[in-house]
Amino acid sequence: MTDVIVIGAGPAGLAGAIACAQSGLKTVVIDEFIKPGGRLLGQLHEKPSGEWWNGIKESDRLTKEAQDLSVNIRCGVSVYNLEKEANKWSVHTNKGTLSASFVLIATGAAEYPIPLPGWTLPGVMSIGAAQVMTNVHRVQVGKKGIIIGANILAFAILNELQLAGIHVERIVLPEKGPLSGKAGVPNEVLKSLTDASKLAPSSFLRLGGRLMKSDGLRKMAIKFFPKNGVKMNGTPLLLRKAAVEIIGDQQVEGVRVADIDAEGKIILGSEKIYEADFVCIAGGLYPLAELAAVAGCPFQYIPELGGHVPHHSEIMETPLDGLFVAGNITGIESGKVAMAQGTTAGYSIAKRAGKGGIIDDLLQQAVQNVRTVREQAAIQFHPEINDGRKKIYEQWEELYTKKQNEYDDVKIG
Amino acid sequence: MNNIESVIICRCEEVTYGQLLSTAEKHQCTARELKLRTRAGMGFCGGRTCRVTVDRIVESAIPNISQAEIPLKYQPPIRPVSFGTVGDNIE
Repeated sequence: MTDVIVIGAGPAGLAGAIACAQSGLKTVVIDEFIKPGGRLLGQLHEKPSGEWWNGIKESDRLTKEAQDLSVNIRCGVSVYNLEKEANKWSVHTNKGTLSASFVLIATGAAEYPIPLPGWTLPGVMSIGAAQVMTNVHRVQVGKKGIIIGANILAFAILNELQLAGIHVERIVLPEKGPLSGKAGVPNEVLKSLTDASKLAPSSFLRLGGRLMKSDGLRKMAIKFFPKNGVKMNGTPLLLRKAAVEIIGDQQVEGVRVADIDAEGKIILGSEKIYEADFVCIAGGLYPLAELAAVAGCPFQYIPELGGHVPHHSEIMETPLDGLFVAGNITGIESGKVAMAQGTTAGYSIAKRAGKGGIIDDLLQQAVQNVRTVREQAAIQFHPEINDGRKKIYEQWEELYTKKQNEYDDVKIG
Repeated sequence: MNNIESVIICRCEEVTYGQLLSTAEKHQCTARELKLRTRAGMGFCGGRTCRVTVDRIVESAIPNISQAEIPLKYQPPIRPVSFGTVGDNIE
């Protein structure tokens, strides 16, 4: 008899499973990938303190901790449906159906694509794919690369590619259009980078964060943005150049690039070709919420959290009884926040399962810890993350808290 | 000059940006109707690659519609599975 099924063995799922198992619940974790760790497996960066964050080590640590608590981690298992049957959740997978009273969905995020001419050529990949190939599979993705899209995720992975000795020639923007949105507008890109300035990966942008809060200054900054770009650890970031086409016969041979103005408009006659043998498209991340959707969970579109997120409370419960969420499915944040949310979800499940003792204290501490970790996060994917969180929790209060109180009263009485 | 219209959006069913945009503009339709008309998102991967883009095309083709109003409708199976797998579970 399984008490809890955790879907996703990333930082949120593993931390959630650990908290469940510590509380005495029999827990199974399933993951689509061949080994546990989720996106932790790709992460490697130097923290502001000078210490290194090695995602593979973190993942090994969490996996061992979970296994020591008798958590059953099953890899290579894909979930294709989730439904409630006879008071229990049925988790339908390619390896059969599992069932339990509690399910924690910790499926993380997926990448926004930015389609452009030539994007189906071999050698074009999402930035996340480049990360997985480099840090997980240890495959060299190419010799000379170009990244299309300037955002925090792209910079973090650029740094990892550089550490692996993979040469990235340039970062350019996608061409402005309905499919690229703000990612193709230099002013908007600079705004989002400078808003996240305390975390910006270059001193130029850090300086910019303080100086460029006003629109006028920002426009000037874009105007005077060096034509050859600002070097990001050796790779020029070209905010005034847009990729209009990826070219190549059988595979990527280069990118046709044009100069653009501060609003992303192409300057005629400025096109040139940069050679490359691989191209990474960096469109950013959105919460991967398909399973919560098929389970029937209501959603809210919150741009600050990356897109559609399932309704959930600060203790990670959804409106559906027994269904909990944690990690990037609730909004795009760092792996550390995901871990803290996972722990919260785990204790929250234990509480709902009727585990007594100090569970209330543990849960309260876990909620507080999420706030603290969020405050101290080294990577902030969205500058207005706190506004986004506030929106979803306020909505929860409004829609569900009253009902919840009634439920608790009945239970206590 | 650059051939944005012929860019493949749905790789499974080989539906282009031009086909999707003209269909969305002509019929002023929902994401669901756009998929049914063009088969975008209805191939082997179940829309995992093109879904977001299809939603964005709807957003750009229909005045006064925002992402918030495009419903997040998913249907099982959300991963490709064999008939055998599904059948086994039904018993």
